[in-house]
Amino acid sequence: MTFEAVIERDVSVAPAELGVRRARFWTLRRIATPIVIVLVLLALFLWIQTLEIDSIMARTLNADYILLRTREHLELTFIASALVAVLAIPAGIVASRTTSRLLRGTILTIANIGQATPAIGFIILLAIIWQIGFQTALIALVAYSFLPVLRNTMVGLSQIDPSVTESARGMGMTPGQVLRRIELPLAVPVILAGLRTSLVFCVGVATVATFIDAGGLGDMIVNGLKLQRFPVLITGAVLVSCIALLIDWLASIAEDLLRPKGV
Amino acid sequence: MTDSTADTGASRVLGGRPTEATIRTTTTITTVKNTSGAHIELKNVNKVYGEQTVPAVENFSMDVEPGELIMFVGPSGCGKTTTMKMINRIIEPTSGSITVDGRDVLSLNPNELRRHIGYVIQQIGLFPHMTIAENISVVPKLLGWSKEKTRNRVDELLSVVQLDPKTFAGRYPKQLSGGQQQRVGVARALAADPPVMLMDEPFGATDPITREKLQVEFLRLQESIGKTIIFVTHDFDEAVRLGDRIAVLSDRSKIEQFDTPANILRAPANDYVASFIGHGAALKRLALIPLYDALLGRATDARGTASLSETDSLRDALDLLVLTGLPAIGVTDASGKVVASVTVDQISAELGDDAGAGAPGVLS
Amino acid sequence: MTGFDLPGLLAFWGKRYDDILQLVGQHLLVVAVALLLATAIGVGVGLLVWNSPVGRSLAVTSAAVILTIPSLALLAAMIPLFGLGWVPTLIGLTLYSLLPIIRNTVVGLREVSPAIMEAATGMGLSRGAVLLRIQLPMAWPVIVTGVRVAAQLTIGIAAIGAYVGGPGLGQMIFQGLSSLGSKNALNYALTGTLGVIVLALIVDGLFTLITKTTTSKGLRA
Ligand SMILES: Nc1ncnc2c1ncn2[C@@H]1O[C@H](COP(=O)(O)OP(=O)(O)O)[C@@H](O)[C@H]1O
Ligand SMILES: [Mg+2]
Repeated sequence: MTFEAVIERDVSVAPAELGVRRARFWTLRRIATPIVIVLVLLALFLWIQTLEIDSIMARTLNADYILLRTREHLELTFIASALVAVLAIPAGIVASRTTSRLLRGTILTIANIGQATPAIGFIILLAIIWQIGFQTALIALVAYSFLPVLRNTMVGLSQIDPSVTESARGMGMTPGQVLRRIELPLAVPVILAGLRTSLVFCVGVATVATFIDAGGLGDMIVNGLKLQRFPVLITGAVLVSCIALLIDWLASIAEDLLRPKGV
Repeated sequence: MTDSTADTGASRVLGGRPTEATIRTTTTITTVKNTSGAHIELKNVNKVYGEQTVPAVENFSMDVEPGELIMFVGPSGCGKTTTMKMINRIIEPTSGSITVDGRDVLSLNPNELRRHIGYVIQQIGLFPHMTIAENISVVPKLLGWSKEKTRNRVDELLSVVQLDPKTFAGRYPKQLSGGQQQRVGVARALAADPPVMLMDEPFGATDPITREKLQVEFLRLQESIGKTIIFVTHDFDEAVRLGDRIAVLSDRSKIEQFDTPANILRAPANDYVASFIGHGAALKRLALIPLYDALLGRATDARGTASLSETDSLRDALDLLVLTGLPAIGVTDASGKVVASVTVDQISAELGDDAGAGAPGVLS
Repeated sequence: MTGFDLPGLLAFWGKRYDDILQLVGQHLLVVAVALLLATAIGVGVGLLVWNSPVGRSLAVTSAAVILTIPSLALLAAMIPLFGLGWVPTLIGLTLYSLLPIIRNTVVGLREVSPAIMEAATGMGLSRGAVLLRIQLPMAWPVIVTGVRVAAQLTIGIAAIGAYVGGPGLGQMIFQGLSSLGSKNALNYALTGTLGVIVLALIVDGLFTLITKTTTSKGLRA
């Protein structure tokens, strides 16, 4: 058989596998999320319009107050997530590089216990032993959402086909080059999934920051409950839920866009 | 050490200096012109893994001429891979010395060394997040080639491994079939024209038909590029088909026999080698002997219309004799003129020459 | 700022161990009931949707959206409807448990190889029988893993339930918060938090046992 024939055969085989198997971009959730968020916010707004607002409610159900709490909430969330990205990804790289059983075992044990720790307990404990306020909440958020990113970085690096990294070494890449050009790009999807989880965690934990006087939309929920003004409570709960959904939605888009092609 | 000085240093060590080399084949001495290969020497190389007490490779010594295609063949776990990977220091030897063109690889920066040694593994290890072109460009980029030169090289290599650059350069590895990926693996290893190639069961994961195609293509390729190649396989037939010389290895990478395929088939050094060859040694040998190397009959003895070319093997001749049932068949030269004839007796005689020399039991 | 005082903590435990045990019991109870409800609902939904792409997507997406909602928001939003007490916590925990259970049920049912199902159909089993007698038992280990994940999740979230009058160790944590500044604040919060951690670890161990004993012998590794 001639080579030409061989090649023709191979070319004709390939197109069957041509459709790169990536998850579809426009999924039900992708399309529905922003629509649902807008509808829910609209419904909330219209509902509040129909209510008689007394002076207590007026103190919270106004644009200035809501924007202030939302800003606090987002600040907490994004500063914590940025810190987590900066701290947990390098930590994950170092942890996945170590050959020390002791260190790995320690990290895994801490990760397991950390996962079992209730966020509310941790944040209140920190407030009791240290102080109340924004900084404490920030530290609690960072500590709490550190683990998913650390773990995903380790998983992302360890799930890379060893033959790929061996090829890279065999071609003469330095360990730094192997990490930067091969391992990290290939781990990006898993690391991003960790960051997305951590962002959503942060929105949630930032809600309980109100218990230690660190602001955020949790204030509206707690005040609404304390003052028996359910519209305030509901507004806070709906707003914070919409923020969580929106951030998750944006993160999922970022995940799809930043995933390396071909993977 | 900066990249540029290291590079020139390393190219001096392993650079493609065309040399002439002699390669022993069955009965002739073939001179390969323009080999770009390097001379490799392993001396008393040992490898003991971690805490293990038994070495994986024990006192391994071997001399490989420039341009030779050496096959390491042996059962799984005998240490083939370990031995091969010590040459580019993916595995560090415990003791012994390894030189490439006279330079001790242990004294070189391993990353610089590896940029001048092509490396192909069974799992291929293409980078899934890079296109085919990007995969092939990795080493040229590491070596600081210009974009232009790299791009031309990619196109050239894709053509060499029989993949159309226009179709394939922009694809990702998972858009290719297994055989195509394997070709890209070979092209990637050839990218910077390294004088040495290390290949660990490169065709092992492909189906038999694809494997045979790849083997034929690979032989052709090697004919034109003349690299020094260490090729690991556990398939003895593959070793016979491809190798200039075969090293039959047993546990701890012990060399049971190191010789040309024909010599090993004719005279296995011991029972171990004989059992590795398995049945049909005579047929395997016949496949290695071209008709022009055999003692043939007169052209006038030829019967029938069927004929063979003098470049066909004795095995082809036997095949045709059995198929047609004729007593003798004509052999043509390049111009198509019948110049000789061949009979079963003459074929037997070619084998018979040495039948007594080896282990008769196997050859019977 | 309050310093840590081990003898003080031990004395605290000695004095209130029956309180603590009662809260542990409540905590376990509310989590267990929520998990049972969620397993019944989740496996049921999984059985209904596993073979329908749209149904699957709808079920998993809705459950995922619920899990995205911050727990304080979800629990508080139920107060206008159900008032303070166990009910909001129970419903909240059940809702949060749905995602891992539905997802693992669907994955587990889909993982059964077509060859096995074809063999079963070939022997004359109806589709329903194949689903309940072949697929479900084979998917069981995967489903239990889903319940296990849900358990870890809900044991932690239950702590926040105390804020809406729910049961369990969260009460100790909030007691610590409300007595901020007093010498017992740390003891309360620490006891509540440690209690939840220990509970989570013990329950996780229990699940290893449950997986072992409820998985068909032929499926065990
Ligand atoms: N990284 C390693 N650590 C410990 N032992 C190894 C390692 N790699 C290979 N070995 C052992 O060394 C021996 C030779 O292995 P290898 O060179 O891979 O054999 P082959 O390639 O011939 O199958 C085997 O016994 C194998 O178990
Ligand atoms: Mg091997």
